[in-house]
Amino acid sequence: MASIIQDILSKRNLIQELVLKDLKIRYSRPMLGFMWSFLSPFLTVLVFYVVFSLILKVKIAEAPFLLYLMSAVFPWRFFQDSLMSSTTCLMDNKNLIRESNFPHFLIPISIILANMVNFLPSLLILITISFFILKGLPIFIIFFPFVLAIHLIITIGLSVMLSTLYVKWRDTKYILEIVLLLLFYLTPAFYSIYLVKTTFPPLLFKAYIYNPFVCLLNLYRITLFKGFYSFIQKDIGILSLIFVPVAFAVVFLFLGFYFYRRNKGIINDYLSY
Amino acid sequence: MTICPIEKRLNNIQTDTAVELRSVSKKYPFSKTADNSSNGNFTDFWALKDLSLEVYQGEILGVIGRNGAGKTTLLNIITGFLSPTDGRVFIKGKVLGLFNLGVGFQDELTGRENIFLNGAIIGATKKELENKLNLIIEFSELGEFINMPLGTYSQGMRLRLAFSIIANLDFNTMLIDEVLAVGDALFQSKCFQRLMDFKRAGKTLIITTQSMDLIERLCDKVILMDHGRLLFKGNVIEGINKYLALLNTEKFFVGPGKKNIELVENTKKWVGDVSEWGKGLGTKEVIINKVEFKNRFGLRCSEIKSGDPLKIKVCFNVRNIVKDPHFGIAIFRNDGVYCYGPNTAFDGYKISELREGRGHFILNFQRLLLAPGEYRISVAIWDKNEILAFDYHVGYYKLTINGNRNSGNELLAIPFKISARNYLNFLSNNFIDLNLKILNDKWGQRIEKDDIKIESVQLLNYQGQKKNIFMTNEPVRLEINFSDFRVENKNYLWIGLYRDDGVYCQGIVLLVRKKRNFSILFPKFPLLPGGYRISLGIWDISAGNFLTCHHAIYPFRMVFNRQDHGTVYLEHNWHWR
Repeated sequence: MASIIQDILSKRNLIQELVLKDLKIRYSRPMLGFMWSFLSPFLTVLVFYVVFSLILKVKIAEAPFLLYLMSAVFPWRFFQDSLMSSTTCLMDNKNLIRESNFPHFLIPISIILANMVNFLPSLLILITISFFILKGLPIFIIFFPFVLAIHLIITIGLSVMLSTLYVKWRDTKYILEIVLLLLFYLTPAFYSIYLVKTTFPPLLFKAYIYNPFVCLLNLYRITLFKGFYSFIQKDIGILSLIFVPVAFAVVFLFLGFYFYRRNKGIINDYLSY
Repeated sequence: MTICPIEKRLNNIQTDTAVELRSVSKKYPFSKTADNSSNGNFTDFWALKDLSLEVYQGEILGVIGRNGAGKTTLLNIITGFLSPTDGRVFIKGKVLGLFNLGVGFQDELTGRENIFLNGAIIGATKKELENKLNLIIEFSELGEFINMPLGTYSQGMRLRLAFSIIANLDFNTMLIDEVLAVGDALFQSKCFQRLMDFKRAGKTLIITTQSMDLIERLCDKVILMDHGRLLFKGNVIEGINKYLALLNTEKFFVGPGKKNIELVENTKKWVGDVSEWGKGLGTKEVIINKVEFKNRFGLRCSEIKSGDPLKIKVCFNVRNIVKDPHFGIAIFRNDGVYCYGPNTAFDGYKISELREGRGHFILNFQRLLLAPGEYRISVAIWDKNEILAFDYHVGYYKLTINGNRNSGNELLAIPFKISARNYLNFLSNNFIDLNLKILNDKWGQRIEKDDIKIESVQLLNYQGQKKNIFMTNEPVRLEINFSDFRVENKNYLWIGLYRDDGVYCQGIVLLVRKKRNFSILFPKFPLLPGGYRISLGIWDISAGNFLTCHHAIYPFRMVFNRQDHGTVYLEHNWHWR
């Protein structure tokens, strides 16, 4: 692990260039350019709002529905985009890898960092809106960086693992698409956790809790929405709310780099065909 | 005399290896095979096999070979992009690669942005890049284009940018894969200049290209690869010639194969390998459309008597004008033994060009000194260096030689005289069934009986001096003395001439009487350069066995004052129109 951190630190310059490359490629051609990094999550939220609130008339007690949707869609978009593009990234960038023998995982990390650059401003906007609509922020906002860090670590761990896996096993991409879709509907993005608790039998609900995203989204909401904690308290204990994502973060990070180390030598063989 | 400091430094450096490979092999575990037995399954494919190589600092090494020979895999292993399946790689210092035209470039980014990205990937710091940015842009001569997205660049411009970046950064070894040829002449010469600067600075370069001109101009040393193996390592010109010969032997065959290395050694001249027979090779700038054999009466034939004259007429059609061609004809025995292959270059004829249209050439053999049997003729029109054939019919034409066989499976029928005083009974017209097969594993051994002692076997030149090296076409006398000789009249003396590799050239069988000395004169001994051996035996016809035999005991060598290929020199001349 120490050697990996050392790698990352010593190649700061390369990571920076890779992130810049990613952003430049993404936003140099479209007319609205960087605007899309805000526009596209907001439009997604808009679509969900129209479908669930105006057409299906879903009601949420915990927070205003628009805020509730935004707090789910923004982190989810970040997660999904990062995983999807990281999975194929070694293949997509094999020419770069061929130029010089740098550690492969710098590429998924740079992609995640580039996505982060999109993600952070939209979070700032979310915080601002939450501040105005709910007339203030909860005290838990001080834990917000901690939540973000857990999210980031889970994403990095999974991305490194998937990018390695994809090189050997090209079906990964399609399976991932389906799994992400399922995972999204299993996450309380547009329904409340209270609803799940009342409909699911207790055992199933326990299992449901172990979806790291259930806890992670709720942690986001606790730190961002005033008064949300009092609602969620009744449904999930605060300990499991923190423990589950942290455990997942540690496991994924470890697994990701362990998997990478084991396959490091053969990645290039697969890439060259 | 002043000593150039650069020279001196170079010499010191030469002893240091920059790159060393020790029996490196690389297996790709996932190549799909085409055959049905394992359809869809992945079988192993060895892209490199047991390759050892040393490259010294300050050296420019050229890597040549056909597509798919493993050149790029080799370079990838040296850069560390791929790790070898077997063997070890030692690299000193930093290695930079220039592969397939700036592969790491991003089309959406401008040239300038690509410099930073590429530099960072190669491992340069931002500061280093900023300091060298102007140098890089200046060297690339891209001018305004440097601020344009790379998508707008041509291949040549990409090469300029890619080369400029790595040429201005620090490294120990540079690998260049098939890209230099893209640049225009001006930039190429600039590249060469820079490469030579690197060489002088003690840096190592490894270049692969299909441009032999480039290899010849740049490299100190080449390696020739085929099917993942190292075929040749060393002198540049020699390597290039071997490569061109390789191109000529097999027609653009790519993939794992059964090729053996010796084939390349042999094919430069004539293929003795029977499996090649019936093939037509060459660039087809000239097409051979008819080959005729004519006997002593000038009539067409496919059979001829041993010792008769033979005329071979080859008609051809020139499609494009060709410069400095030469004609060649080769005779093989049916089992692939190479008899003789004269060509106009060896014979000192100079043909400046062949113009478009029809033409023919004729080869006249005064006497065909070949033993009766089935033969194959190859016919070719070669380029100046006998590297690329314009047309080459390998073992196409069958020729039967008639006559009486003397003993066993002879190759030649060299005329000889038995001196009159000990003329006994020369059996040239009676075939004696000597069972030479019993000598098969007796090469270099003696079978002896007490009452027959071979005292001496001598080869004498025309002055009567004992020798064991002769010039082709010199008169040679063979003298044999027996110290004790009491054998019956039914026994025969057999003298066998063998090539060093075991090919039976000629046998002479004499009826033995109570004589002790035998002398045989070859007025013109036409064997071509190489090592030969003489065997001697007394054959008991009633027992069907050798009473005594010294098999391939007496060696001698032939030399010639000119170049020629094969076993026997046949007097000939050429005509062409």
